[in-house]
Amino acid sequence: MAASAAEHLANRVDGRHPELPETTAGTLRLDIRADGHTDHWYLTIHDQDVDVSRSSAEADLVVAADRAVFDRLAAGRAHIGSALLRNDVYARGDLRLLMSLRRLFPGPPDARHPRTCGLIGEAAR
Amino acid sequence: MKQELVHVLAGNSFAVSDAEGDMRPDPQAPVGLFSFDTRFLSHWVLTVDGSPLDALSRDDLEYFETRFVLVPGTASHYVDATVSVIRHRSIDDSFNERITVLNHSARPAEYTVRMEVGNDFADTSEIAGPRPRPVTVTRNPSQLRLRYARERFSRETVVTATEPAEVDDAGLTFRINVPPNGSWTTDLHVQMVLRGEGSRDIRAHLETHQQQVRADMRQQLQDWRDRVPQLSAARRTVRETYQTCLSDLAALRYTPLSYPEAVPVGGLPWAMTLYGRDAIVTCLETLPFTPELAPATLRMLALTQGGQLDDAHDEEPGKIICETRYGESAAFGDEPTSFYFGAADTTPLFVVLLDEYELWSGDADLVRQLRHPARMALDWIDAYGDLCGDGYLRYQRRNTRRGVINQCWKNSPDAIRDRHGHAPAFPRATCELQGYAYDAKVRGARMAREFWNDPAYADRLEHEAAALKERFNRDFWLPERGYYALALEPDGTPVDALASNIGHLLWSGIVEEDRAVSVAGHLMDDRMFSGWGVRTYADGQLPYNPVAPHLGAVWPADNALIAAGLRRYGFDWEAARIVDAMFALAERLDGPVPEVVAGYPRQVTKYPVQLPSAGRPQSWSSGALLMLLATGLGLRPCGENLLVDPVLPEGFGQLDVLDIPGRWGYSDAHARDRGPRGEGHRRRLRG
Repeated sequence: MAASAAEHLANRVDGRHPELPETTAGTLRLDIRADGHTDHWYLTIHDQDVDVSRSSAEADLVVAADRAVFDRLAAGRAHIGSALLRNDVYARGDLRLLMSLRRLFPGPPDARHPRTCGLIGEAAR
Repeated sequence: MKQELVHVLAGNSFAVSDAEGDMRPDPQAPVGLFSFDTRFLSHWVLTVDGSPLDALSRDDLEYFETRFVLVPGTASHYVDATVSVIRHRSIDDSFNERITVLNHSARPAEYTVRMEVGNDFADTSEIAGPRPRPVTVTRNPSQLRLRYARERFSRETVVTATEPAEVDDAGLTFRINVPPNGSWTTDLHVQMVLRGEGSRDIRAHLETHQQQVRADMRQQLQDWRDRVPQLSAARRTVRETYQTCLSDLAALRYTPLSYPEAVPVGGLPWAMTLYGRDAIVTCLETLPFTPELAPATLRMLALTQGGQLDDAHDEEPGKIICETRYGESAAFGDEPTSFYFGAADTTPLFVVLLDEYELWSGDADLVRQLRHPARMALDWIDAYGDLCGDGYLRYQRRNTRRGVINQCWKNSPDAIRDRHGHAPAFPRATCELQGYAYDAKVRGARMAREFWNDPAYADRLEHEAAALKERFNRDFWLPERGYYALALEPDGTPVDALASNIGHLLWSGIVEEDRAVSVAGHLMDDRMFSGWGVRTYADGQLPYNPVAPHLGAVWPADNALIAAGLRRYGFDWEAARIVDAMFALAERLDGPVPEVVAGYPRQVTKYPVQLPSAGRPQSWSSGALLMLLATGLGLRPCGENLLVDPVLPEGFGQLDVLDIPGRWGYSDAHARDRGPRGEGHRRRLRG
């Protein structure tokens, strides 16, 4: 069972992230909407560290979506960029920070390393 | 003969019509008005008193602006010689058309002017057969709105007229009265809306996109022209080609949703979006002329760098993007193109561009700021690009449904073949990828030592580069042929084919010094050199076909890198032959330089044969002519100075380029061709 977005943010996003460039810095607010109310998650990115808190303060980038959409992102079942194009996710502010979320949420759970794929091989054409 | 198509463009927005200015869907070409990979007008037809119009003349004023002068009727039969119509269209973030009706008679006249309007909201990936979409039409006395929605995805075309009109679901009708020798005018404004939250345009919420809106196109183009070096040339056509290429490069800049500065798109008509490869090569080609493209492109590519393993998008951590699109197919995953990474060359070339940009600009800050993405890119080469664990960069798509089969610049499905037509197995290691990887490691080492304060990493990269060069020269070299194999199969079997890829090896510096003569000789012999340039694939091999893009045709971008490679190894006159051929090609074809021309021998056709599928303008083709100019002039950064070491083709005469920007401030290059006899001491293939 995949973690919900809330669990993912609390357990896997808070902390150190060497996969983020040390030059990425900014604040993101995730507005997770469900059942008529909105949960605000506040991410402060600085020097490969992400600090996660609960706040509705203004941020450099605000990303809003239904809880189901965030849960799919947290399970690696949706791509943040495609979700934005579909309007499943609304973004306001500095979109450069959106790509940091691509690093902070997982990829698809069934993804393969290209080397394992190479051993199986695709017929030449 | 197929009717001529006319375009106006600005960034990733463009409008393609027939010679009269009308638009009707064509399965073979993206005709209509497009922006962000969506068609916003598929039907846009003007009539006067029910009669179609015929073009008397056309004035392509700038890339974003065209004026048609028309009369009712057809070329063979003019209905009414007392009325004419001017359509003056321009494009920026919206599409504008000013229609002027002129009454040439001495009496007042009544006309019915009608603009038929329709749209299918097709995605650029499905021009050949757009699926039917439900379109909602709403209207008021001055406005027609067409809207398409799928779940929360919504696109809208809003057509507004400045003069009173009768608006119906299929267009706008103006019943007008024009005084004797008078005129009537209306402005039609077509807004292309990407609907976001609260029915506002997505872009309105994005800081990265706000300063873009309603830019003054004319002023922007003038500023661009003021910033580039001034060229004067004895040969008039060199001047013209230079100006054309610069205008095309200006036209093909666009501002992505996620980044505030302009980067090059691939080109018209099929590649009006960011392609990593095309953008990087364009930047490499244009560093002496329009260096501003490079930092924006590097930052945008760093921003979109791969972060996860993702089979559908052929994504791995550290990989540099192949293509990014905004249309419906990308949004819903019908195509993997929202962020598609199926390219094995973009990642090492990203590192090459970062280093080369610093050599020209002295912008050490950017190299420091992009340390992390550059390091991830270098790590990617070995961690994910080396698919067989034998030290070679290879590719094999994981998205077997929609992924790109050949993930190198020769990306058509059958591009990689041996001389007998045999298709090698996957994963494929094409030779030029090894050159790029080698060059990336050499340059990564320089950046690590000089800017990242990491001498141990620099040592490691230098060691790896040297080992790769040695290994490559052992495993790819075909001694009985005297050239490098096109590729290696997974088991290490060389793919024997003579192809232009070996020219890229010279450019990357992976060729052993004593083998360069043989490589250069192959590139310049009649099987490879058509007279218009070096073919992608040599004549005399079974798969050779002069009209196959990657198995015989001639690409300016390919030739630009080959010519630079020839000069790198001292084959100055061979490089000059390519410069000469490419400028001859550009001056015989009016307008933008196409991405590719057929590989027929020049002495047979006398004229470069164009391929119907070839796009123009294309960023890396327009950039190619600039790079060839720089190669002919021998422009090279050398410490804090600009080195000028010209070897110009005979007939160029005097050539001066003033105010070449770089770490030296501004510097000038003066050159003159050395006449028919050339110069004795330079390295030559034949006496």
